[in-house]
Amino acid sequence: MLSSYFQQIIVLVGINMIAVLGLSILTGFTGLFSFGHAGFMAIGAYIAAIFVARLHLPFWMAVAAGAAGAALVSIVIGGLTLKLKGDYFCIATMGFGEAVRIILNNIEYVGGARGWESLPQLTSLWVVLVLAVAMVVITWNLINSRHGRNMVAIREEELAAQMAGINVFRYKMVALVVSAAMAGIAGALLGNYIQFLRPTMFNMVKSTDLTIMVIFGGLGSISGTIVGTIILTVLPELFRNFAQWRLVVYGLAVVVIMVGRPQGVMGGFEMTPSGIRKHFAARRARQALEAELRAAERESAA
Amino acid sequence: MSTILELKGLTKQFGGLTAVNDVSFKVAEGGISGLIGPNGAGKTTIFNLITGVYKVTKGAIEFRGTPIQGTEPYLIADKGITRTFQNIRLFKNMTVFENVLTACHTSARYGLLESIFRMPRYWKQEKELNEKARGLLEIMGLQDRMDITANNLPYGLQRRLEITRALALDPKLLLLDEPAAGMNPDETEQLMRLIGEIRKMFKLSVLVIEHHMDLIMGVCEHIHVLSFGCTLADGTPDEIANDPKVVEAYLGSDEEKKSC
Amino acid sequence: MTQFLQQLINGLSIGSIYALMAVGYSLVYSIMNFSNFAHGSVIMLGAYFGFFSLTTLGMPFGIAFFIAACGAGFVAVTLERLAYKPLRDRRAPFLYFIITAMGASILIDNGVIATIGPTPKTFPPELLPSYLQSGSIQIGTLGIGRVDIAMFVITAVCLVALILFIDFTKMGKAIQATAYNMKASALMGINPNFVIILVFAIGGALAGVAGVLYGVKYQVFPQMSSITLKSFIAAVFGGLGSLPGALLGSLLLALIETFVSGYISTQLRDIFAFFILIAMLVIRPAGIMGKSAEDKA
Repeated sequence: MLSSYFQQIIVLVGINMIAVLGLSILTGFTGLFSFGHAGFMAIGAYIAAIFVARLHLPFWMAVAAGAAGAALVSIVIGGLTLKLKGDYFCIATMGFGEAVRIILNNIEYVGGARGWESLPQLTSLWVVLVLAVAMVVITWNLINSRHGRNMVAIREEELAAQMAGINVFRYKMVALVVSAAMAGIAGALLGNYIQFLRPTMFNMVKSTDLTIMVIFGGLGSISGTIVGTIILTVLPELFRNFAQWRLVVYGLAVVVIMVGRPQGVMGGFEMTPSGIRKHFAARRARQALEAELRAAERESAA
Repeated sequence: MSTILELKGLTKQFGGLTAVNDVSFKVAEGGISGLIGPNGAGKTTIFNLITGVYKVTKGAIEFRGTPIQGTEPYLIADKGITRTFQNIRLFKNMTVFENVLTACHTSARYGLLESIFRMPRYWKQEKELNEKARGLLEIMGLQDRMDITANNLPYGLQRRLEITRALALDPKLLLLDEPAAGMNPDETEQLMRLIGEIRKMFKLSVLVIEHHMDLIMGVCEHIHVLSFGCTLADGTPDEIANDPKVVEAYLGSDEEKKSC
Repeated sequence: MTQFLQQLINGLSIGSIYALMAVGYSLVYSIMNFSNFAHGSVIMLGAYFGFFSLTTLGMPFGIAFFIAACGAGFVAVTLERLAYKPLRDRRAPFLYFIITAMGASILIDNGVIATIGPTPKTFPPELLPSYLQSGSIQIGTLGIGRVDIAMFVITAVCLVALILFIDFTKMGKAIQATAYNMKASALMGINPNFVIILVFAIGGALAGVAGVLYGVKYQVFPQMSSITLKSFIAAVFGGLGSLPGALLGSLLLALIETFVSGYISTQLRDIFAFFILIAMLVIRPAGIMGKSAEDKA
């Protein structure tokens, strides 16, 4: 059997993966940046904890409720803020995330700012693995459909997307709700794995972390999201002994990536048979076109 | 000939600036109409008003007899008006094929859950969408460029792709915003022929903004001339070419006339 | 009545610090159209510069103040040169700027925790000039903290100087022109790079002043940078990119906060701030003083 430390890292990777995949739909594919997704995680985590520890309901119900709760809240938030332009949506989500944290600080029923200790450990390695794989499949199927293409179109050129008959608001909402639900699931799993919850766990730094994983992997690539999540979850764990310096390096890495390789590790490229085929077909077609253009130029010169 | 689009006293103000002032004209069904005028005359603003990007300040826009002002842009596209842009707006990081495939989306009806769980309707309609996109690209002569990322296309082909993408929505009325901008006479000539062909093939009405006079005079059956947001003239190419006001607006005169 | 006046004075004093900080967000936004979330870390560094110049280096308070302002300004400009300039050169979308700013903020905050440590530092009262000592001036039943008065005065001087600079000097006009239209003003011979450096330097220097004042009133600690988020909210509230907006937003936000915590509850104060933020974004995203305009397609 795997050592418990190793298991723990896999579980954390899996939980992060679920949240980051959701954010990848919103940020990587639809082009909306959120700095409040830790807020949705928190909602999922606390609802699930209430279901399990206070209402003594089954675990699966708690996870489902966490997802549903986060999704419901996201509908309200999305209705209010999705019409805002670029920067302002970002700021609004940041405000939302912080508001959730501060509200939780003040609810004694769930432990307030001190936190909520001794939750049951119901999240197992297998639950996390199964859910993470399921989320990869769901994300993949969603993105490779007309709905997913519409989302990418919005990211690429919002006005043109509208002119192509795409209901931009609706698709942004779909992306937000799906990503919030996934963050809710991740939160529900997290609380019931580490057995305690504290509002500071879901601060703006956590939201930024999730976004950074998406960007690190490469916007618009599911395989990139997976790779990014694994690297950025495992590396800091390995360097846990370096405590604070770990975060210094992390911050530095973010700046260096943004400045040096903004397209992320994968840069929109999918590491799947179809993705690789597409990549080479694009290259071949481009080379053929260039050759033709050169030939035409020579002809006109002659 | 019946009318597909009619503007009635259309006015648009940005703050204190009147960009379009009481403009009225008709676009004939199945015809090619031109919208011309000097820079800043309000041509693109009219396109933005028709497609719902801007809110109409005053006046009405009727598409096939029903008013469409105040309708959400995507619904206007749904009703059958699509457009291209003066400064090309493609889905840049998608391939040529994906650009068209995306725009075909209105031809499919499968829902979110059907795509997540890959239900039969997803497979069936995806296949239809693929065929439709492929067919369109063949008609437009882009079949050899399908796999290229839109960004990497040369300028002329980008314009062509943008028109193809607009056609993917099965429009009744196609608005072309300076389709020949930046093209050499050869390419312009080609484009003229293309516009004529697609009009027949797709049974479209076309409204085109253009600066290339040969293109406008060559393909349009009817021309509307704007100057500083106001109507200057309206008529057949011959009438327009001989209208002293139009000649003056284009060549300038001693006293600039800025009000209507 | 006394309580009301007391709250009003508290509000004005906190508001003036928010304003000093908010100006930095707004100036950068007006030129570069992105929210520089690393600004909070610059404020925090400014406070540490002031603290160590005063204690370790044994400088007089005035010099320490000056060092804090220069140091923070230098950090802000360095950040611009190293992190934002490459993004600008590449015409990266604004979100990359935000992420980079967040990364820089994580880097700086944790760098301070790793090197100096997380424990809050208190400005030793014996090293402070008399006008910044604790204690208050009694006017009838009303007690006004000396620190509050000093803070208000110093802030007012800085802000008036800034407004005069922007309205009446050539450089200030260059900033205005660039904020209005960077391309056009570049064509008129205003070097955008120079304006951007200038803006970061001014914002950074004011951040240094704000950091020291905040540190004197409360304490100096690494998490200061996240507390400055309030001043960002104030800038949004007043209208990002507008200087008068930043001032008005700061004072209003601070007054609302002090009255909420004075009359309703202290816990509600922070929630209120974020609700105001979201409400403002929903009702009028451009803020109180900001321009809202229809985009040209």
